[in-house]
Amino acid sequence: MKRYFAVLLGVLTAIGGFVDIGDLVTNAQVGARFGLSLAWVVVVGVIGICVFAEMSGRIAAVSGRATFDLVRERLGPRMGFLNLVGSMLVTLLTFIAEIGGIALALQLVSSVNHVLLVPFVAALVWIVLWRAKFSAIENVLGLLGLTLIGFAVALWQLGPDWGELAAGLSPAEKPGAESWAAYAYFAVALFGAAMTPYEVFFFSSGGVEERWTPKDLGVMRANVLIGFPLGGLLSISIAACATVVLMPEGIAVETLGQVGLPVAVALGKVGLAVVVLGFFAATFGAACETGLSTGYSLAQYFGFQWGKYVRTREAAGFHVILLVVTVLAAGVLLTGVDPIMVTEMSVIFSAVALPLTYFPILVVANDPDYLGEHRNGRFANLLGMVYLVIIVVAALAAVPLIIATSMGQG
Amino acid sequence: MMSAWRTTAVVVCFLAWVLAVASGCSLVGQPDVAAWDQKARQAVTDAASEVATARLAVETARDDRTWSSYTTVVVAQAEEAMGTVQDDVSRLQVPPGRAQDADDLEALLDAASSAVQDARQHAVAGEHDDRDLLDRLDRVGERLTRAETRW
Repeated sequence: MKRYFAVLLGVLTAIGGFVDIGDLVTNAQVGARFGLSLAWVVVVGVIGICVFAEMSGRIAAVSGRATFDLVRERLGPRMGFLNLVGSMLVTLLTFIAEIGGIALALQLVSSVNHVLLVPFVAALVWIVLWRAKFSAIENVLGLLGLTLIGFAVALWQLGPDWGELAAGLSPAEKPGAESWAAYAYFAVALFGAAMTPYEVFFFSSGGVEERWTPKDLGVMRANVLIGFPLGGLLSISIAACATVVLMPEGIAVETLGQVGLPVAVALGKVGLAVVVLGFFAATFGAACETGLSTGYSLAQYFGFQWGKYVRTREAAGFHVILLVVTVLAAGVLLTGVDPIMVTEMSVIFSAVALPLTYFPILVVANDPDYLGEHRNGRFANLLGMVYLVIIVVAALAAVPLIIATSMGQG
Repeated sequence: MMSAWRTTAVVVCFLAWVLAVASGCSLVGQPDVAAWDQKARQAVTDAASEVATARLAVETARDDRTWSSYTTVVVAQAEEAMGTVQDDVSRLQVPPGRAQDADDLEALLDAASSAVQDARQHAVAGEHDDRDLLDRLDRVGERLTRAETRW
């Protein structure tokens, strides 16, 4: 019974924890501009994050060692360092976006400018990172993030023409006014939003912290293979709500408030309040995950003590990193930079950095010296290689598309 | 380790270059007619989006489907974005033969901005049940939609 509860809890937190500020904003933007013609990218991205997270989780459970530690050992310090720099830059950008997202969510209920809220939000995030238990962060915020199911309920309540909505799933249904370059830019952005590297680092480092063993592989796979796809359905619900309500009005999404408007139309104040709670929980949970991921990455690479299960005094370096990145994120946001713009940059640069983080995991997951009988099988390798190609193509296309479309405007 | 730092420096410089290009760090040039038309069309589309956002926010508030601070924030952000659209257009150099079009565009954006500002004032005052305001936003929205096909 306890085991079933663990699986259920893991799946629920994986669903609630799947969506972050990048998913919220990008899916709503895409839904309002392209309808559901890009929903296939969410499916591709969700399968990709399942492949990536399953390999990382398996490495953590079998070897009992952290990702960056293994990557540096297996591929050498140079490749390890490149991996570290790529993932750190993107994770830091995502951390800034998430803290901004929490402030934007609080602004919607307080009407206090988000810049004024940033110092308090940053302090709260740091206190939670410092004091709260790992399981509390994962479970409480993951479960609260489930309130974003409000988008699926809102979609049902809006009563769209389901046949018409389903017909819009084809890429051929791209609105004529939108260019293929803009379509491709948002395809890469959606892919980057679904496959953010921090999710995998957090997941596998959490596995090491919780001392997973090969016996835990079943629970880990259930969390990944059930939780993430259901989280992907939440993403598609957000896009579909924007398609039904915002697209006919010609509204382009630039703020978090616009993302929630379809829920207000469908469900009124109560539904909107539930979804805004979801905004807060999803961004707060992701801020904790990205903050911890930066600490994990640096500590694992440089080989000093890390983790939430280690006493603060023994993992002082790890906690100093958490403090420094939180202050840095708050400092960037206090310049008045738009958190939504930071979010847009973080999802597209996630795609750029993905090969640096994905390739080493694929190599280690194939190494019998580390994984023995649990190394990638034929099917896992086929999927792994297909996704390596997709990830490299997305990474190579990202920068030219940023320039050609002025970050998706043209 | 030195070589790792060199790699990092190259990656950081590359990212800085990408950011500079993406944020529009380019040489100032004389805009041609086609470029001006494209920017005018984009400004009208953006303005139409802000007007529609304000209208939807006010309408949901009138139906008691949002709370006051939510409506105020959404409409205030639409107003701020309208200001950015106007600023961007005011910085465009008008090409020869487009002076009248530029005046028309400025007048249209002024009307849109004024309607959204009005919506924000109503939202702050908690006056959501004003049919005249919704009609005004509708009229400006229709003018903007018509103007989208002009350039």
